[in-house]
Amino acid sequence: MTVQLDKQSKVITGNAAAAYAAMLCRPDVVAAYPITPQSEVVEQLARFHANGVLDCEYVPVEGENSAQNVVCGASMAGGRTFTATSSYGLVYMYDALFNTAGYRAPVVMVNVNREPPGIHAVCSGQQDMISTRDTGWVQLIAESCQEILDTVIQGFRLAEDHDIQLPVMINYDGYYLSYLAESVEIPAIEDVDKYLEVLKSQPQRPRLIPGQSIGCGSHGMGMGYVELRRRHMDAMERVKAKVDDIDASFAESFGRSYGGQVETYRAEDADIVLVTSGSVTGTARTVVDARREAGLKVGLVKLRLFRPFPVQQLSEALKGKKAIGVLDRSIGFGWNCGPIFMETKALASQIGIVPMLSFIDGLANMDITKEHIDTMIDAIYDASQGKDYQETTWLP
Amino acid sequence: MAEKKKKMPRVFDYFEEEDLFSGGVAWCAGCALELNARFVGRIMGKNTVLVGTPSCSAPVLNGQNTAAWHKLGHYACTMTGVASSATGLSRYYRKAGIDANVMCFTGDGCAQDIGFQTMSGAAERNEKMIYLCYDNEGYMNTGVQRSSGTPFGAATSTTPVGSAGHGKDTAKKDLPMLMSMHDIPYVATATLSHLEDYAKKLQKAKEKSREGFVYLHVFCPCVDGWRIPTDSSIQVCRAAVRTNYFPLWESEDGHYRITHNVSKPKPVEELTGLVGKFKHMSKEEKETLQSMVNKRFNILKALCEGTQNAA
Ligand SMILES: Cc1ncc(C[n+]2csc(CCOP(=O)(O)OP(=O)(O)O)c2C)c(N)n1
Ligand code: SF4
Ligand SMILES: [Mg+2]
Repeated sequence: MTVQLDKQSKVITGNAAAAYAAMLCRPDVVAAYPITPQSEVVEQLARFHANGVLDCEYVPVEGENSAQNVVCGASMAGGRTFTATSSYGLVYMYDALFNTAGYRAPVVMVNVNREPPGIHAVCSGQQDMISTRDTGWVQLIAESCQEILDTVIQGFRLAEDHDIQLPVMINYDGYYLSYLAESVEIPAIEDVDKYLEVLKSQPQRPRLIPGQSIGCGSHGMGMGYVELRRRHMDAMERVKAKVDDIDASFAESFGRSYGGQVETYRAEDADIVLVTSGSVTGTARTVVDARREAGLKVGLVKLRLFRPFPVQQLSEALKGKKAIGVLDRSIGFGWNCGPIFMETKALASQIGIVPMLSFIDGLANMDITKEHIDTMIDAIYDASQGKDYQETTWLP
Repeated sequence: MAEKKKKMPRVFDYFEEEDLFSGGVAWCAGCALELNARFVGRIMGKNTVLVGTPSCSAPVLNGQNTAAWHKLGHYACTMTGVASSATGLSRYYRKAGIDANVMCFTGDGCAQDIGFQTMSGAAERNEKMIYLCYDNEGYMNTGVQRSSGTPFGAATSTTPVGSAGHGKDTAKKDLPMLMSMHDIPYVATATLSHLEDYAKKLQKAKEKSREGFVYLHVFCPCVDGWRIPTDSSIQVCRAAVRTNYFPLWESEDGHYRITHNVSKPKPVEELTGLVGKFKHMSKEEKETLQSMVNKRFNILKALCEGTQNAA
């Protein structure tokens, strides 16, 4: 296989897009463990490495927990690092996720969303990502193969930014995107170099090198610990504007952008909106277009950034709407609704009290059809007209 | 008047550095870990990065107690992530052309239980690093619970002695032997009563870790958990060697060699008699322990003989 490093257009899967993006960013150390539906990422990176295109230390570890610790260690030594996982793999690195984030190691990781409960649940769903939301990682969600590639490149730019220094997890739907082949614009490696060059002009982050009396991971207890937690939270807050800036500068370099934290579609003048994330957004756009044509003022808001939660941007997009629906591909216990819904509902003090509806759909690879989206829009509309509504609806 | 120069023991010749640890470190009085850590530091030198984890070594090695520690670079991680974190460091140093001795320094509980998978994985990949396991035969930091390194018969807080319990009822995992089966460049056992033997092994470890994974298993009594007097740890180490309970050996590129021959091994009771955790054992239980010791030693001997002249 000869790998072209010039700008090209190629039909590739979402997994291949992730691997291409990682390769183009020239990581120093890559460590990963295979799991369906992510395995192709690991294999593709191994091929890049074997062909000499990817000049890195490639570590074929014996499990995901090790994968995460390898990249965290390499990152603390000063390296650029990448890993990829999914579902049980993500959960198997749970303890290590806290460390990577707590150490402020700018690891970039792809997580191919898959249901974790039940070992045979080899199917798509966002529960894996949702269940790691408090580990301190930045979490982004991509909608298409192109967006996967672009978001991974943006991910390095974000993670290693001197004001941020946080690990970044890029999520995309297993099956729907991991194995979907579509035409993807692959940038030239020199252009990616140029895009990331600004990182070199920033002050170097602290790193653990031999011969120096430096400790890593000594969070300590008491006030030192509290101070580090506060700084972590502050950095998370800075992520929000940075995601917008980075997306804008990406557009300048490559001509593509995704709205930063959230993308709105026909939402400005809409009376009612549906909030989505990930690959289903394409279907939702088509339905919104059809309903608009039929005279319904409906709009769409796509959540791109999940952690930190884009409180301000999302509030602005939702303010003044008569009713709001949120589509979740996972469940949140205790509140009897979807987790993204739960967080959106917490915006009530910013956007006012209007009917909010939680839709749980697309668990375990179940298709979210146009009919489902129509059903959701009908329900949101009825609620906006003052009719009684049910807060949480399971589809199908 | 000319000052009489005191002759230093030979082991001082192996020191590369001043003591890298401060005074007042947070270990129990008489804990063998203190000598162990200071000794390792002086031979490994300043270019060493220690990778450690929660354990009795953590308060000093990993900066948990910021009042008294050492001058080495160090990385603290979870018990599940020691050899993997060290892999990350070591791989990046290689990529960046930075010379370093990456050294994992953990207890037996981490090495043979919760951290075993990742250590075995790193050994199989032949990562360039040293893994030093100090063996105090249990989870001491959490209050002296059994680990798979706790020997047969020993009383711990999770193998207590009572009307139905007689201490641990299974054998100690033979971790150095297990590690030597990973086909790695160097494996050795050492202890603090035989410092020159230990020093040579540390030096060799440093050298061989340029080629790949090195495993060192260091017998390291815990005064508190074993219920031994604070001035007796070295005596206990010596008894462990003399009884073949803890034979000193190495395996270099698959050649096994006993580095300290014990011509007339003493009965294991000479060790168990010194240590509180064995005090309750019956005659039969002591015999069982003795037969375990003999069995292990015979395997080691056979390996030494079998690999002596092999190419
Ligand atoms: C994942 C995890 N489980 C449990 C613990 C609690 N813990 C801290 S130290 C320790 C025992 C360590 O034993 P060992 O490695 O032998 O070191 P020692 O304390 O004996 O020096 C345990 C179980 C932990 N820190 N992390
Ligand atoms: S409990 Fe044992 S191993 Fe831990 S510091 Fe005290 S003597 Fe040393
Ligand atoms: Mg121990």
